[in-house]
Amino acid sequence: MSKIELRGIKKDYQGTEIVKGIDITIEEGEFAVIVGPSGCGKSTLLRMIAGLEDISSGELVMGGKVMNMVPPDQREIAMVFQSYALYPHMTVADNIGFALSLKKVPKEEIAKRVKDVAKMLELEHLLERKPAALSGGQRQRVAIGRAIVKRPKVILFDEPLSNLDAKLRVQMRAELTKLHREFGSTIVYVTHDQVEAMTMAQKIVVLHNGHVAQMGAPLDLYHQPDNTFVAQFIGVPKMNLVKGRLQNGLFTLPCGEQVQLDSGYGSAAELQLGVRPEHLQIVRGGAGWEVDLVERLGVETFIHLHCQTQEQLVVRQEGDCQYEVGEKVALTFAQDRCFLFETDGKRRLPAVAVAAAC
Amino acid sequence: MVSLVREAPMDTCVSGQQAQRRAYVTLVLISLFCLAPFFWVLLAAFDPKASQFLRLPDSLTLAHFHNLLTNESGVRWIMNSVVIIGSATVLTLIFAGLGGYALSRTQAWWKRPLLYAIILVRIVPPPALIVPVYKVMLTLNGWMHGFITGLTDDAALQTTLLRMFSFVDGYLGLILIYTALQLPLAIWIMKTFFDAIPKDYEEAAALDGASQWQTLRYVLIPLALPGFAAAGLFAFINAWGDFLMPLMFTSSPELQTLPLGMFRAFLRVDAIDYGFLTALAVIYTLPAVIAFAFARRFLTQTFSGGVKG
Ligand SMILES: Nc1ncnc2c1ncn2[C@@H]1O[C@H](COP(=O)(O)OP(=O)(O)OP(=O)(O)O)[C@@H](O)[C@H]1O
Ligand SMILES: [Mg+2]
Repeated sequence: MSKIELRGIKKDYQGTEIVKGIDITIEEGEFAVIVGPSGCGKSTLLRMIAGLEDISSGELVMGGKVMNMVPPDQREIAMVFQSYALYPHMTVADNIGFALSLKKVPKEEIAKRVKDVAKMLELEHLLERKPAALSGGQRQRVAIGRAIVKRPKVILFDEPLSNLDAKLRVQMRAELTKLHREFGSTIVYVTHDQVEAMTMAQKIVVLHNGHVAQMGAPLDLYHQPDNTFVAQFIGVPKMNLVKGRLQNGLFTLPCGEQVQLDSGYGSAAELQLGVRPEHLQIVRGGAGWEVDLVERLGVETFIHLHCQTQEQLVVRQEGDCQYEVGEKVALTFAQDRCFLFETDGKRRLPAVAVAAAC
Repeated sequence: MVSLVREAPMDTCVSGQQAQRRAYVTLVLISLFCLAPFFWVLLAAFDPKASQFLRLPDSLTLAHFHNLLTNESGVRWIMNSVVIIGSATVLTLIFAGLGGYALSRTQAWWKRPLLYAIILVRIVPPPALIVPVYKVMLTLNGWMHGFITGLTDDAALQTTLLRMFSFVDGYLGLILIYTALQLPLAIWIMKTFFDAIPKDYEEAAALDGASQWQTLRYVLIPLALPGFAAAGLFAFINAWGDFLMPLMFTSSPELQTLPLGMFRAFLRVDAIDYGFLTALAVIYTLPAVIAFAFARRFLTQTFSGGVKG
């Protein structure tokens, strides 16, 4: 009933294409997160699913039915808005119960269900307040309460945590995951924060300039990024990319540094090497790289390095490590954790493919 | 002015205070001069021996009001005014609400031209419109007359229906004219007001399962109440103060409105009854004051906190 399929969905505003042909299948009961940088069309996509925006071309299928022309109030969808959009003239209780009162649910039942939801979201003591008298986090929870009280089959979230402080965000992430487990609704969640995506999603869809850059399980995206955009979008700090030449499985950086890769790779003129900060090791007392900046967070340390030809890399070390700025060090690359991308970054080269191409 | 005096150095302080005192005295005198006519109206209305001079009454009486409401057709005039202007205000609010909402939300190319065209209507002075409007109303009136006389043979019923639905010399005509005259400003007020209400609320309501009508009823109208109050107040007070339209479009004494009644009473050849006239003026002012008091509750009501940022 609540499986969502997008088939070749496009959206253009007066001739400019914003969403450029998207195919996604979200299974019933799945927690799907759509991530992408600001302005990539996430909200637009979500609003098309909700029915608030016309679909320029393509098909939206929900529960086996084409929904393109079905008005939003008949889609059995709830949505938590980027702006919350709580009715300012209604109390918290009325806000949460509004959808039910429209359906002519008896008053006592509304009161009971509102109370249940309020209890779950810890809003019980705020039920008689107006939205103006709530903090950001409380408004957020009211907006979520308004969405779940209907027990909808599909809930859409548009960057619901973007206005909360870091601590509350962590707490709400856990709450939302719990909520999904309890309700079993299909969830489509939009965010620009890859941490939210990694921690909550069962499936991540990475959106880039109106295209799907890649989709899959969170760790698949981390371990097998299809292109440099996904490689750099997932993971903090972002993956290092350096240009260089490949010859017989030996990757040579412009500064002369050489990385031995799996022998499956052949030779190619120009490629990009991708390696995550956690897959680099610093060798003290070596040479070739110079320390620019050291960020010590206690549990981990980020060391920014450069070599003579100004290639820059970030290394992550466990624990609290002390390095001097200007210190000369050498690097070792975890060779089975290195990725090769074409120079335009659009494609990752599987080991065998490179061998075959050369 | 005041701050200048305050900041004056010590040695000029005395003369500064004198200047300030002179200024206040002047202001008080001017105020008294302006307020005197209002005092006179208020006092004379309750003064058994009301005259054209401002004086404190020896005793207070309600005789003028009593006279106005019983012997003269005061009640009828008030009723006529209230029915006509009240209906026009309600109609104005309905159309301004719908039109203002549509004009606020549409992105069509004709949005701006139409908005300016609407305000342009308001620029033409109403007297300049009277002749063409009268012509139109007369034609419509002919049809309505034929329709009503064809509807029933009962003469009394016919008279009542004609009085209510005639375009000339009937309630309907005046109601429509006032609505048309007040609508431009009201539409602008409502359009500006709806501009300030984010679309998110309507979208949230749609996803909560509200139909268009329910969105209007439970979300938009409550949020737009201050706008409706402002638009309604302007429409009511403007129309309430109008004298020209009933003069042009009514002739039967039964249809006389308050300002017209007042005017005719003023013109009577026999000695002017100041008590009666001032009582009439007080009554004439009252509804406007009541309307303001009523609207004020909503005017000051503002909503916030629904959307972030
Ligand atoms: N009504 C509109 N008319 C024209 N262009 C629009 C309209 N709405 C959105 N856009 C454009 O579409 C693009 C995608 O907008 P969208 O709101 O979907 O971005 P987003 O991914 O949600 O970004 P954010 O993370 O900032 O919310 C933007 O470049 C925006 O300028
Ligand atoms: Mg957005």
